[in-house]
Amino acid sequence: MNKPLRNPEIVWRVEKRRQAEVLKALETGEDVADTGTVILLLSGMMHQLNLIGGMIWEQCDGQKTLADIAGELAKEFSVEQAEVESDVAEFVADLAERGWLINE
Amino acid sequence: MSEVTEMFSAPLTFNWTLSYRCNFTCDHCYSRDEECPELITDDLKRIVDILVEQQVPFINFGGGEPLICKDLYEIAEYASKSGLNVSMNSNGWLLDEAAAQRLKDVGFKSVGISIDSFEPSLHDGFRNMPGSFERAVHGLDALHKVGLKSTMSSVISRINYQAFRELLDLARDHGVGQVYLHNFKCSGRGFKNREDLDLTPEEWQAFYLEALAVKHQTKDLKISFDDPVIASLPEYQEKTMVKGSSCGKLSLHLQPNGDITPCGFIPVVVGNILNDDFESIWFDSPVLKAMRSKEATGKCSGCAAFDDCQGGCTARAFATTGDFNQPDPHCWK
Repeated sequence: MNKPLRNPEIVWRVEKRRQAEVLKALETGEDVADTGTVILLLSGMMHQLNLIGGMIWEQCDGQKTLADIAGELAKEFSVEQAEVESDVAEFVADLAERGWLINE
Repeated sequence: MSEVTEMFSAPLTFNWTLSYRCNFTCDHCYSRDEECPELITDDLKRIVDILVEQQVPFINFGGGEPLICKDLYEIAEYASKSGLNVSMNSNGWLLDEAAAQRLKDVGFKSVGISIDSFEPSLHDGFRNMPGSFERAVHGLDALHKVGLKSTMSSVISRINYQAFRELLDLARDHGVGQVYLHNFKCSGRGFKNREDLDLTPEEWQAFYLEALAVKHQTKDLKISFDDPVIASLPEYQEKTMVKGSSCGKLSLHLQPNGDITPCGFIPVVVGNILNDDFESIWFDSPVLKAMRSKEATGKCSGCAAFDDCQGGCTARAFATTGDFNQPDPHCWK
C-alpha cells in the first residue's frame, strides 16, 4: 500500500481536548501509548487510535505516500525519518488488514 | 471531568427537531402536545455551522414530521455538503418516490420509517391515521427503489410486543437493513397513555430475552435496541460506547428554537445552541453532569447490575419521579 486512503465508510474525529492533554503529558514523560486521541466509528462500534496512530491516520488522504507520512511524523517528533518508517508501514498494514485503510 | 467528557469533546449525534408540527396524532408521541417557535433558515444554517465547528458527525432529524418542514431539504443539503452525516425519522406519509429521490439527492445517508405493527389496522389505530400503514410501507419501497438506505423503527408497546418477529419479516420484505425496536417512553402522550400501552417490568424482561435470542440467530437483518435497562441481562453481551443512557453522553437533542435538551424525552433545557457557548454547555452543564454520574438510589443501591445499566433509562425515571437517579420503572430486578 503506497498511498493509503481512509475508508470513506468510517466516520472519525480528532478529540482535540484529549489530544492537547496527551501532548502535555508527553512533555512530562508520561506513557500515553494507551490513550486514544482519535475515534473511529464503524457499524455502530467505536475504535480509538493513540496519538501516533491518530497522526498517521490523519495523513492517510490517498495523496501522501508512506515515505511522506513517515517524513511528517519524523518532523513532528524531531527524529530521523528512517527511525519511524517501519513503524508507519506496520501500522498502515494493520489498518489495511482491518479494511480501515484502502489503497488509492 | 466525567469519563464522557474526558473522551468526547462533543456529542456524536444531535437529534434535531426542526418543528413539533405533525400530520399524525400518535398515541405514544412525546411531542404532539408541544409548541415551540421555529427558527428562520439562516439560523438553522448557523446551527449547522456550529455543529461542524464542534465536530459533531451525525444529525438525525425527527419531530414532529420532518417532511412537512419547508426547510428540511435545504438544511439537509447544507449539512451534508458541510460534511455531516444526515438521517431522519419519518412516519412515511409524504414519502413517495419523488421525495425519496430528493432526499437522496440532498445527501441523506439513511431514512427511518416508523411502523408499529405488521397488521395495518393496528398500526393505523395506534397512529390515529387510516391508511398510514400502506403509505409507510410505500415509503420504504420508494427508498429501496431510489437506492437510499432505509431503517424501520418500531416502538414496542402492548400492541406489538408479542409479534415483533412479524415486524422483522415486514422489514425484510421491503428492503430494510436495520430495525430499531425502541423502548416505550412515558413522555408526552406516552405518559398519558402509559396504562394502556406500556408493558410491566416482567413483560419487558420476557420481551428482551426473546428479542435477544432472535437477534443472536438473525444474520440478514440488524436488530438494534436503545434501552439501557437491557444491560442488566446476562444475555446482553454487546460492548457499548458508554454505560447506561446515551443521552447527554453520546447524543443531545435540539428543539425547534435552538434550545438543547439531553434528549427529546427529557424536557430540561441546558442551553441554547445559538445564544450560549456550546463547550460550556457540554462540559459544565449541571444537568448533563448529573446524568453522566448517576447515583444508585432505591432498589439500584447494592444492585450488581448498576455498573452496567446505570439505573436504566434516565428519561423514564425522570418522567415518572422527577429525579434522574431513581430506578427505571421498567426494571424487573
